[in-house]
Amino acid sequence: MEIVERIREEARKALEEKKVELIIGFEEGSLPLRTTPAFIKSIDAVERLIWNATCENNLANYLLRLKIKGKVGIVAKGCDARSIINAIKERQIERDMVFIIGVPCTGMVDRKGIKERFDEAEILEAIEVNGQIKVKGERFEGSFNISDFLYDSCKTCTQKTPSLYDVIVGDEVKEREDVDEFREIREFEKKSPDERWAYFTREIESCIRCYACRNVCPLCYCKECFIDQSRPQWFGRSIDESDRMIFHIIRVFHTAGRCVDCGACERACPMGIDLRKLTKKVEKDVVELYNYKAGIDLETVPPLATYKEDDPQEFIK
Amino acid sequence: MEEKVISREKVVTFIDTLIGKYYVFAPVKKKDFISFDEVKSGNEVYLGYRNSKDSPKRFLFPQSEVMLRYEKGRLIEEGPFDYGKRVIFGIRPCDIKGFSLLNKVFDNHDFRDPYFITKRDSIILIGMGCREPQTTCFCTSLGIDPGSSDGADLFITDIGNKYVFQILTSKGEGIISEYDGFNDAEKADLDMKEKVSEDAKERIRTKVEISGLKEKLDGMFEDPFWSDLHEKCIGCAICTYLCPTCHCFDIEDETVNDKGVRRRNWDSCMFPLFTLHTSGHNPRESGKERMRQRIMHKFNYFVSYWGDTACVGCGRCIINCPVNMDLRKVINNINHG
Amino acid sequence: MNLDEVDSKIENWEPKIIAFLCNWCSYAGADLAGISRIQYPPNVRVIRVPCSGRVDPFFIIKSLQAGADGVLVSGCHPGDCHYLTGNYFARRRFTILKNILEYIGIEEGRVNFSWVSAAEGEKFATVIKEVTESVKALGPAKRLIKRFNYRKL
Ligand code: SF4
Ligand code: SF4
Ligand code: SF4
Ligand code: SF4
Ligand code: FES
Repeated sequence: MEIVERIREEARKALEEKKVELIIGFEEGSLPLRTTPAFIKSIDAVERLIWNATCENNLANYLLRLKIKGKVGIVAKGCDARSIINAIKERQIERDMVFIIGVPCTGMVDRKGIKERFDEAEILEAIEVNGQIKVKGERFEGSFNISDFLYDSCKTCTQKTPSLYDVIVGDEVKEREDVDEFREIREFEKKSPDERWAYFTREIESCIRCYACRNVCPLCYCKECFIDQSRPQWFGRSIDESDRMIFHIIRVFHTAGRCVDCGACERACPMGIDLRKLTKKVEKDVVELYNYKAGIDLETVPPLATYKEDDPQEFIK
Repeated sequence: MEEKVISREKVVTFIDTLIGKYYVFAPVKKKDFISFDEVKSGNEVYLGYRNSKDSPKRFLFPQSEVMLRYEKGRLIEEGPFDYGKRVIFGIRPCDIKGFSLLNKVFDNHDFRDPYFITKRDSIILIGMGCREPQTTCFCTSLGIDPGSSDGADLFITDIGNKYVFQILTSKGEGIISEYDGFNDAEKADLDMKEKVSEDAKERIRTKVEISGLKEKLDGMFEDPFWSDLHEKCIGCAICTYLCPTCHCFDIEDETVNDKGVRRRNWDSCMFPLFTLHTSGHNPRESGKERMRQRIMHKFNYFVSYWGDTACVGCGRCIINCPVNMDLRKVINNINHG
Repeated sequence: MNLDEVDSKIENWEPKIIAFLCNWCSYAGADLAGISRIQYPPNVRVIRVPCSGRVDPFFIIKSLQAGADGVLVSGCHPGDCHYLTGNYFARRRFTILKNILEYIGIEEGRVNFSWVSAAEGEKFATVIKEVTESVKALGPAKRLIKRFNYRKL
């Protein structure tokens, strides 16, 4: 049976048996290469659920965002499941209040990457067949291997099969062991501080402070974000370079030991800002210094909630 | 009305001429999108664009504007400051309409905003007709024609190897006379121009029904429709910040040590903080009330106040929403729900 | 201080360094240095905190934004924290924060950390000398300072 059929079947069962109040999944979007989050509350609506390589949103976000009473079913990819693990660990949700329909994921397709191929010409139609995306525009047609056009976060993902689920639909995907997920960061670290500063100021220059990066993130659930604090106000809300940069520094600091590299922030950013250059750096440091990866299991204590007496401290005088 | 023509290559020199005399803002390529930015040479201008990522509204209503400056509790300087004479080159008809909607809010019978007005009065708008509207464009549903020159000082139509310039105001006349490379338009050019705008109009396939929408919304404040609509919205400000008509702001003093400025910053009705009271009470408590506000303001309240809809059909909110909230669908659901 | 002023005063510029000192150790260490009349540069402005664990990253970043040329955070040696583990937790946070700051391009040496006990008046003076020298060598801070470019739109 196809994955989508199995998702629907599980969703139907869960709703029928009144195991859950609703199922959060994906349905057809309104634009080519887009799907959209769906909130399925009745058995009739189950047919709306779909599954393909454009189911890019991290649905775990909604478990924290929506104040849902009762148990919730959720369609979860590898990274979504990691985010759910985080949320359980951080006591934001209870394990038995979510019903996880795990989907082994083969990666999500980078729609911007495909669009760039056609410059300003618009893609009018896109369909997925056997690992390929066929796109059509007014004066062109093209066909791409999905595996060549994955999001950066999907390219280096090592947790494609959810590590936490109630049911799993589809066969386990072979995890990659040969990826060097921090290679780009190491390269970037070699640049001089001036070059790095120039790079980030240029990136941040187009930030419009819409906070989509924060709001889509499955970690950003603070009742009041530091950037919104006004009594006292820590940082300004204008587009001043310093304030913008600080927003990004502290946001990424707050992801330490928590970011699952789902890539949601970078995808959401309307201005195409290279946010992963920041999140991945912190992820790398946490791995190297404290040997911790977020969202892998429910037991290991998060790195900033613990310490070791002999933690590295060469930089301290 | 007078029409001039100029060859493709000469447009660049025309822009160069303007650069010496004005601050010229035009569409430029940035990463994977187009944005209006100051250009230092005509060659930087990217004319093959469909529309810019962000709306040019920030030229009249900047994302962050300093209103005054103070030091040790004393006023040092007060705006509106002079930003010089600015030319916006290549603005689309929908965005010009956006300017006129902002104008209703910032310059009206009981309120005149000097910050807005000074900028408006020192700006010259060179509009540009669309050749290839996007599938997300639905301007015609809002009574805007992709070839309409309304509100521009000069209006350009790309007719292939040449550009037709329509002179609409004395400001427009003024800048045309800065450059002597223009010829009078011939009948063939004008016919071509007509054809280009007709074609563009034809290419707009999305239609949303706006008539009757306001009346429908009149009775919908308590409708259960809103309880589901917002569910997938993550409450960012992409849709409102990129929108050419959204105009909410927040004024705050920013002080470091004993100096500071008073700023007016964009704000968004999609943020909870927007309506948070000092008491801690928030009248728009959840996404439901905030989404309702956004839709109501655009298609109902704005119509009551100003007799027009606060949407120009540019499709920016549709293209850029991270969860694919499609305004066209929302309107259709309201109409048919 | 406003950056534009810093620029114009570059000739007789002296760095301003904000030091967050733990009440139970480094603050007392500074006191001891004073009582013992040990000389050290006058560039630090001390802010007393109850524990290095109280130093929120905001404090460090806000100092840089408000115009500090350097920051020092100093607490009790590992194992000696008055609250037992405050500095152990803080150490991890500081590590991550310092790495981020340097990664985005804040020069190494602007943000410094030390462990100084109440008995280490001598060490306190040395740390201050070192930090002041390294900050002096870097020159006035330019990054992250809020500039109030009020005319730019
Ligand atoms: S910071 Fe970005 S990549 Fe990391 S978990 Fe949040 S949204 Fe995902
Ligand atoms: S999503 Fe992009 S533009 Fe919006 S606040 Fe984040 S980085 Fe800035
Ligand atoms: S852009 Fe989309 S997600 Fe963001 S506030 Fe608007 S509708 Fe909601
Ligand atoms: S909405 Fe209309 S005027 Fe605006 S870019 Fe699209 S076609 Fe042109
Ligand atoms: S009491 Fe000094 S560091 Fe905790």
